[in-house]
Amino acid sequence: MNSRKAPALAILGAFFCLSISPVGAQQNAAAQGSTTPGYAGAEACKTCHAGEYESWAKSRHWATSNNTRGGPAKQGCEACHGPGADHAANPADTSKLFLFTKASPKEINAQCLGCHASGTQQLHVNNSLHSRNDISCTSCHSAHHSETREFLLVKTQPALCYTCHQQQRPQFSMPFRHRVNEGLVQCSDCHNPHGSERQHQLRTSVTQDQVCYNCHADKRGPFVYEHEPLRTEGCTICHTPHGSPNIHLLKMSNVNLLCLSCHTTSFANAPGAPSFHNQAAQYQACTLCHTQIHGSNTSFVFFK
Amino acid sequence: MIFTRSASTAPVRQRHFGVVEPGCAERPWRARPSLAFMAVLALILATAAKAQNPELPDQGPMQQTSETPGRASGNYNTQQNIEFGYRDSMIHGNLNNYDMFNDYGSGWRLFDYDLDMHSTNHQGLLFDDLSFNNFGYGGDPLSVSRLRVDKNKGYDFRASYRRDDYLFNYSLLANPLNPTSFAPPTAIANSPQASQYVRHMQDYDLLLLPESRLRFRLGYSRVSTKAPGSTGYEPTVAAVGSNTEGITNEYRLGLDYRGLPRTTFSFDELLNYTRVNTSVADRNFPFQLATGTPVDLGIVFQGTTPCAAPVTNPATTPPTVKANCNGILSYSLLGAPRAKFPVEKFSFQSDYFKNLAMSGSAAYSNSSNVMTDLSELFNGWVSRTVTRESTTAGPTQAKRVVADANWAGEYQITTKLSLRDEFYYHNWRIPSSWATAETNLFAAKAAAGQAGLTLPISPATPANFAALCPAPFTGASCPQHNANSGPDVLNEAVSQFLGQDLRNNLVELKYNFTNHLSAYIGYFYQARTIDDFSATFDTGEVYLPGGATGTAANDFLAARADCAIPSGGLLPSGCTLNPATGVITEIGPETANKTARNYYHIRENAAEFGLSARVSDKLRINADLMAGYNDNSFTRISPRQLQSYKVHATYEPKPWANITAAVDIQENRDNVYTVNNIERGKTYSLSAALSPRGDFTVDFGYNYMDVYTQTEICFPDSSPLFTQPCPVANASPLGTLSFYASRDNYAYADVMWKPQKRVTAMAGYLGSLVRGSTTFLNPLTPTGTLDFDYFTPYASVTFDIYKGASYRTAWNFYGYNDRGIANPAGLVPLPSQNFNGNNITFVLRYAF
Repeated sequence: MNSRKAPALAILGAFFCLSISPVGAQQNAAAQGSTTPGYAGAEACKTCHAGEYESWAKSRHWATSNNTRGGPAKQGCEACHGPGADHAANPADTSKLFLFTKASPKEINAQCLGCHASGTQQLHVNNSLHSRNDISCTSCHSAHHSETREFLLVKTQPALCYTCHQQQRPQFSMPFRHRVNEGLVQCSDCHNPHGSERQHQLRTSVTQDQVCYNCHADKRGPFVYEHEPLRTEGCTICHTPHGSPNIHLLKMSNVNLLCLSCHTTSFANAPGAPSFHNQAAQYQACTLCHTQIHGSNTSFVFFK
Repeated sequence: MIFTRSASTAPVRQRHFGVVEPGCAERPWRARPSLAFMAVLALILATAAKAQNPELPDQGPMQQTSETPGRASGNYNTQQNIEFGYRDSMIHGNLNNYDMFNDYGSGWRLFDYDLDMHSTNHQGLLFDDLSFNNFGYGGDPLSVSRLRVDKNKGYDFRASYRRDDYLFNYSLLANPLNPTSFAPPTAIANSPQASQYVRHMQDYDLLLLPESRLRFRLGYSRVSTKAPGSTGYEPTVAAVGSNTEGITNEYRLGLDYRGLPRTTFSFDELLNYTRVNTSVADRNFPFQLATGTPVDLGIVFQGTTPCAAPVTNPATTPPTVKANCNGILSYSLLGAPRAKFPVEKFSFQSDYFKNLAMSGSAAYSNSSNVMTDLSELFNGWVSRTVTRESTTAGPTQAKRVVADANWAGEYQITTKLSLRDEFYYHNWRIPSSWATAETNLFAAKAAAGQAGLTLPISPATPANFAALCPAPFTGASCPQHNANSGPDVLNEAVSQFLGQDLRNNLVELKYNFTNHLSAYIGYFYQARTIDDFSATFDTGEVYLPGGATGTAANDFLAARADCAIPSGGLLPSGCTLNPATGVITEIGPETANKTARNYYHIRENAAEFGLSARVSDKLRINADLMAGYNDNSFTRISPRQLQSYKVHATYEPKPWANITAAVDIQENRDNVYTVNNIERGKTYSLSAALSPRGDFTVDFGYNYMDVYTQTEICFPDSSPLFTQPCPVANASPLGTLSFYASRDNYAYADVMWKPQKRVTAMAGYLGSLVRGSTTFLNPLTPTGTLDFDYFTPYASVTFDIYKGASYRTAWNFYGYNDRGIANPAGLVPLPSQNFNGNNITFVLRYAF
């Protein structure tokens, strides 16, 4: 074995060993039944809620059993539903339980964020468009009745998103589209369903630019000659990102009309079409010649 | 059910083993390393599995909780599902369009493979849960693999691989508008910019110690893209036959620290490296000169481009063309820009303080994109400038500096009333430069029978000019310029700048009347400042004299372009004539040089209102309204007025029935009289999902989309269609209120029925009827994708054979029919854009 690799492997091995708790410790308070007043432990819940217990045990939420630091209030079923000893003693008594079916969206979000408000994915949950419209965590996620194991979604994408955003469904069936229905791209690749600082809950690229550049890196630049509206207004100044009947997902069927919308003599920012660009004679599409329309290092008219 | 991405979506192409249809490239079975890896991994992980009686096979996509109980292997429960089979395709019509829209071909396929391993006692040695999902291997245009492995307390690892193989060949985009009178009167069946984009995307993310106070995140992504390039050289030619390869490697390192209660601090260091290798070479020579020399005339337009009636003998192979046409004898463009983007980002999230939830982030990036090896070589003929050869080089550099910050907070004033504020700051600037080095070689004097592409190239350079071409500059080797010719040597320092400073703030009050009714009202303010400049300084332009129209008054054509002598008789400032050689050199700012910055200030004010109501346990309604105004706009189609209306409703009359309806209206305007821009989109949606029984489900829906855009445009146009002048004085001669309208009726329906326990039948339909209208600047323009019908019905029958094995036959139909004017009167008949076809897929599935 390469001597340089040995320390790294030893560290990795030690890491895995540390992550594997002894069997006794694994069978923790949640499994054995809580001895803390007010808390019953997950095994007690299993007596009546076997289905929910099984689904919980198979999910990542089982990991709450390991939360010895948080104590019974952060373990097992009671990590989400609150102290269950009174309910275990008297099934009709749910006064101390947190019932997701009865709670307000805000209360539901607060309950979930008690553990999940960490990291960057849920950074903007409280000020997201979804939150603003009282869409709670359980609108998309289900701890006990999920269709997907990853993220515990009630439906897979994009069917989940289509339940509210039907207006996008026909766009993804257009001839020119992002392959969302085919599974190549997911809604969450471009949008952060938990919110973001950008409009439409769009993600940013790693380079703090438009999310489009995560895949369309060749358009990212920066270029010597920038097509300025692309930077200032965004890709959607010309493109319909979900799907379009027009080629390259453009907003119009005729490329020249789109270009002339800005490149019309009357506006100082964009030069107008020169006199030798007779629209009736030729130039089926401006981009036939102006090929590097997203930016160029060597041509101020984006020829190359 | 609609979004099955396996056999039921198989396209059809008439093809027999080993025989390829003309114009279609055979798709070899792709032996992807990842496919082999998948097979090996599946075998290794499945070796210890023992057979059990499975339930119904798992039909879902990735990470779906399967109904198959799986097999016990040690303390793991292992569930696997594999679908493989054969797709037979029969497509008729325009295969280029079919390839663009779908591109599913015939052949054997691994349609799906899923592996789930779950540690029953959460004491797995290396992992507790593993999910591995794959589809599309064996020749489909897209392939996806996703892997997730996690170990309680230890780590959470995710990886994905995606391949996207996209053919673009839309002939109508670049079809020269050849009238029937043009010679040769041939339509173009393939786009001059036809290309096959192949993109491989990999993403890896590792989260260490997910449940500890301090978590570590490591990530790596790689995107590689191969795409043919096309380049315009001069406005009459385009080089094809090129490759651009781009590779992006991205490294991510982050940590999250939860030191304070209900508070998380995060830091990310991100590095993105992008390299692009551009290699353009013209390898397409569809014509020849009378001498037999191959030549590319580029995109052949009617009229006088590349020249009037270019073909002199269509009977030769290839056709023979005139020598005095604009054309390429050889062309290459090489360049390899290298970009790096380091980013540092800090973020936090906290509800530590009572009734106050906050989050925020700040990021900084100083990136650069450098190209030091630009090399362009052109050999051909540009009649406008009488250029025969040209070289271009010089290093380029562009930087992008970004500072980004945001803060959001929500304060719970009372149990019902909350106040939100959200501030966002985003500042970026792109300074760039290019030290241009260009040389242009012009024709020498023509011998008998020589013209254009056959003209000899003058060997004159500034170094040998005095000896080679003395006054009066009429020697045979002297360069034959004209008044439009550029400099013989061009050295420039190009400096560009573009930057934007953006700040916005949203303040919002939200009131929860009850747990079932809430409303919010908000005010949004945004301030943007955009600034740019464009400076070009000639560090050394050299104009050699020589040309048929050279006289003493124009210094024998040395006084041209930037050094053209205006009426008044003096050389412009910066231009210096060497009386001994007749050569003019220029040092100084270009005519278009602007070192002063242009500033554009745009202020937006917008009001928002929203309502969320759960009228009952069965009915929910959400409404959002927004109206805003900008006092300026950076482009003519950037809105000054914005309005948005959204109403969504969900009704569940029964636990098994879900009905949704939505109205979405967005309208943007720029009502400046010389612009008169409107962009309006309306969508009306209705859908229902019914599952009255476990063996019968129905989904159906209807969407109507209405898009309308108008803008006042001005342009030169010689057709009789336009007679109104441009509303702006001294501008392009003609103007019109251009418009684009598109109406899409979209409907879908899906039925799943199990007539017997072992039989599952599915049938569905998706259809779009798109009708549109737009301004046609050229009467010869086909309507293209303005009007079409696109239908994709499907059906399948699945038989559960025995213990997890099932067989499925699926049928898909793809029908695209152009409903517009495919061949306007006077246009050379174009190939049909339609395609119709069936595919039949035979799939074996085994779940265990």
